[in-house]
Amino acid sequence: MSRSSTPIRRTLMRMIFLSCGVVLLVTSCAFCAYEFLTFRQSSIQQLQILSRAIASNSTAALAFDNPEDAAGVLTAFRADPHIVAAALYDAHGNLFAVYPQGLAVQGLPSHAGEGYTGAGYTFSRTALTGFEPVAEGSKQLGMLFVESDLNAMYARIRLYALIVVLVGGVAVSLAYLISRRLQHRLLQPILALAQTTTAVAERHDYTVRAARTGAYEFDLFTDTFNQMLTQIQESEGKLQSQVSRLNLLQHITHATGERQDLPSIFQVVLRSLEENLPIDFGCLLLHDDVSKTLTVSAVGAGGQDLARQIGLSPGVEVPIDANGLSRCIAGQLVHEPDVEQVQFPFPRRLAAAGLRSVVFAPLIVESQVFGVLVSTRRAAHSFSSGECEFLKQLSEHVALASHQARLHGALQQAYDDLRQSQHTTMQQERLRALGQMASGIAHDINNAISPVSLYTEALLEREPGLSERSRNYLTTIQRAIEDVAGTVSRMREFYRERDSQLTLERVQLNRAVQQVVELTRPRWSDLPQARGAMVDLQTDLADPMPEVMGAEHEIRDALTNLIFNAVDAMPTGGTLRVRTRKTGGADSEARAFIEVTDTGVGMDEDTRRRCLEPFYTTKGERGSGLGLAMVYGMIQRHSAELEIESAAGQGTTVRLSFPAYGSSVVVAPKAQQVIVNRPLRILLVDDDPMLIKSLKDTLQEDGHAITASHGGHQGIEEFSAAAKRGEVFDVVVTDLGMPHVDGRKVAASVKGISPTTPVILLTGWGQRLIAANDAPAHVDKVLAKPPRLHELRAALAELVP
Amino acid sequence: MAVLKGALRLVLFAVAGFMVYPRGLAADTPTEDQVQAVFLYNFSRFVEWPAQTFATPDDPFVIGILGSDPFGARLDEAVRNEQVNGHPLTVRRFHNLAEVDNCQILFVDRSEIARIGQILALLDHRSTLTVSQADGAAQRGVMIQFATENSRIRLRINVESARASGLTISSKLLRPAEIVGKGAKE
Repeated sequence: MSRSSTPIRRTLMRMIFLSCGVVLLVTSCAFCAYEFLTFRQSSIQQLQILSRAIASNSTAALAFDNPEDAAGVLTAFRADPHIVAAALYDAHGNLFAVYPQGLAVQGLPSHAGEGYTGAGYTFSRTALTGFEPVAEGSKQLGMLFVESDLNAMYARIRLYALIVVLVGGVAVSLAYLISRRLQHRLLQPILALAQTTTAVAERHDYTVRAARTGAYEFDLFTDTFNQMLTQIQESEGKLQSQVSRLNLLQHITHATGERQDLPSIFQVVLRSLEENLPIDFGCLLLHDDVSKTLTVSAVGAGGQDLARQIGLSPGVEVPIDANGLSRCIAGQLVHEPDVEQVQFPFPRRLAAAGLRSVVFAPLIVESQVFGVLVSTRRAAHSFSSGECEFLKQLSEHVALASHQARLHGALQQAYDDLRQSQHTTMQQERLRALGQMASGIAHDINNAISPVSLYTEALLEREPGLSERSRNYLTTIQRAIEDVAGTVSRMREFYRERDSQLTLERVQLNRAVQQVVELTRPRWSDLPQARGAMVDLQTDLADPMPEVMGAEHEIRDALTNLIFNAVDAMPTGGTLRVRTRKTGGADSEARAFIEVTDTGVGMDEDTRRRCLEPFYTTKGERGSGLGLAMVYGMIQRHSAELEIESAAGQGTTVRLSFPAYGSSVVVAPKAQQVIVNRPLRILLVDDDPMLIKSLKDTLQEDGHAITASHGGHQGIEEFSAAAKRGEVFDVVVTDLGMPHVDGRKVAASVKGISPTTPVILLTGWGQRLIAANDAPAHVDKVLAKPPRLHELRAALAELVP
Repeated sequence: MAVLKGALRLVLFAVAGFMVYPRGLAADTPTEDQVQAVFLYNFSRFVEWPAQTFATPDDPFVIGILGSDPFGARLDEAVRNEQVNGHPLTVRRFHNLAEVDNCQILFVDRSEIARIGQILALLDHRSTLTVSQADGAAQRGVMIQFATENSRIRLRINVESARASGLTISSKLLRPAEIVGKGAKE
């Protein structure tokens, strides 16, 4: 501060000294010059007066030629010590008398003619000389010469110089003192002002004001400066509010950009406006272009109560007034500074709630107004033009964000659909592959267990003297084989479309549910109780329920699986609800539902998506991963639908939806067991010696004559050979899958030789073959492996009566 | 300016010429008579006459000479074209007392000194300055007497006579002169 002010001080000091010095110098010079001139003048006058007096007194001496008297008169010059010489000349110019007595005549003009320049006085460098005429009356009698030295003048000049120096010194000292005082008075306001400006510049604090000092024009300066500061402050304020609005706009734009759904975009816009602009009440109306109505879509969080009070809750329709709203719908930003003055219903409604300033901003997308952003404040005239502009810009952003959200929604929907269909396709592909694999495995297993099944059945039927123990064992073996066969067949078939061989019958779902609930009681009641958990099973059965066409045991199996899953999902107990209901009338649209709902752990999204996959399990070692897959297979076979609703921790609902009876479902005839008693000549064709042996053994025990041939080629040869011999076989039983010549070719050859001879095809793929409707021509019956003796007998009785 | 300077130079030249001219005349030592003639003329400047002396402003200032004239033409020369207070100076010569008329200065030659009493009586109550070169004239009532001392002409003045005639003699004239008569410092 002091560093920067030094030049001002120095300059001021210099100015004062300089002006002081100049004034002093000029004054002194003028004074000296004046004094010098007046002194010369007065010197001349003094000398003249003296000379005239002497001259006047000298007249008589001259007139009457008395040099002594003249010399006496001249001695009067003694009065002035500076007069160094005087001389009197007569009328002829001759020297008459001199002063002082005995003056060297050489120093004088010896004659008035020499050096005489007429009456008058002249200054030379060292002396003042003069000639004064001596006259009496008009008669000139002579001339007086007088010479004065200039010592007096020089003395005077020296005195003046001394005075000038003294006065100068005093004046400079005074000037210094005065200037210091003046400086202080002048600099104080400047420094104060400088301090203020520094404060403003360094802290950007425009609220400070320079204090008035009451000194000179500084107040004017200070006032102007303060006025300038006020203006800057105002500008700063405007700028700040502009920046804050921009920030708010940016904030809202950012927030809306992060959201993709309209309600949350509207909410964040209204909340930001309420908190930051701020507004007292804000809502968003959506415009339906078709019905020409406005509907309240969102209300700011802070204005919920107010909205209820004036009937603007979400969903309420707002009529379009002829005033602001209709103009807004036309695409204009409408600002009502005071709605008290407006006589239309909607503004009146706002005014009734004490909201007086309103801005309607249209939300425009592709030149279509799809909504209105309503911002209100309690105070009238409280929206500035800047805020209106801001709301206009904001409405454009909101419109854009809403448009994008809609587009995003549509895109998401399309993407979800696509993913769903891709998922379905993938699942089907996977199931198909698994099915094919399972089919191959099943074929081999069926072949392998065929002898076990046949022999066990034969032993139980015919073996005499079987001990009770043996019978028990055999029965167990038979049941185990049945289970194996059943498992294998299900495993092979779960992926399959409805199996036409599946025995469809009318099924009463309510009865099936009751049966399953009873049958599974140990699992949902006893086992959990043993662990200390309590499962409350509730059934809610609609009555009447339409019947559905299906395989009851499959439906039961499926329900059993679902109940097991539900119980497993509630390790600490809970409520298990099994519910049936129906939709639609008696027509083909009618459907019957079974819902199994638990309050268990539920499934997360990933689990829900994968739960139908075979071998996918969440139960670790305890689960096979086939339960829901089998349910899915059943659903597929019954043309039914499966829905799973679940969320982690929210329990699970599995809904099975069947077409009600009356749909075009073909009912397969029910098989009847018939025992063959006529001995037959049977040709067995198979590439598996174990199967041939077991079949041959068991059929021979029924009294049939069995010819076995290994492989298709040999079988055909045997048959043609027998035919040539005229011993045509009564029936041919052939395996389907054989190397080189398979069952189809065998059947074709047999029919070629003897069209009436029935052909029974045995196959590990039996059910699939039938389901695919590709039972070869020439084949009269297809039987699944492992062959059951009773089925075989029934087939023989049917084909060869 | 140049014209002024030229004029000044002309004047100086003229004055110088005027100064030079008498100097040529004075090359010869002036005679006693010559000096006295100049003195006589000079008295007109150191003496004051009463106001009623002249009837009109144009009346001449008369210097009269009674008796034989010692000055001759020199006096006429000295007074030519001279004036005293506007009155032209003239010289009149009187051969006898009867001729003496109104005059301001009357020179009484030593030849007439014998009848000085008669002359003074005649001039009584007239404002006429009487001058003479006769010895003892001042003591006898003549106002101014020329006296020669050390070959210089000195003045003896009878102040009383002058005062009686109403004339005032300048103190300047009195200072170098010798005062005669009553009141004289003798």
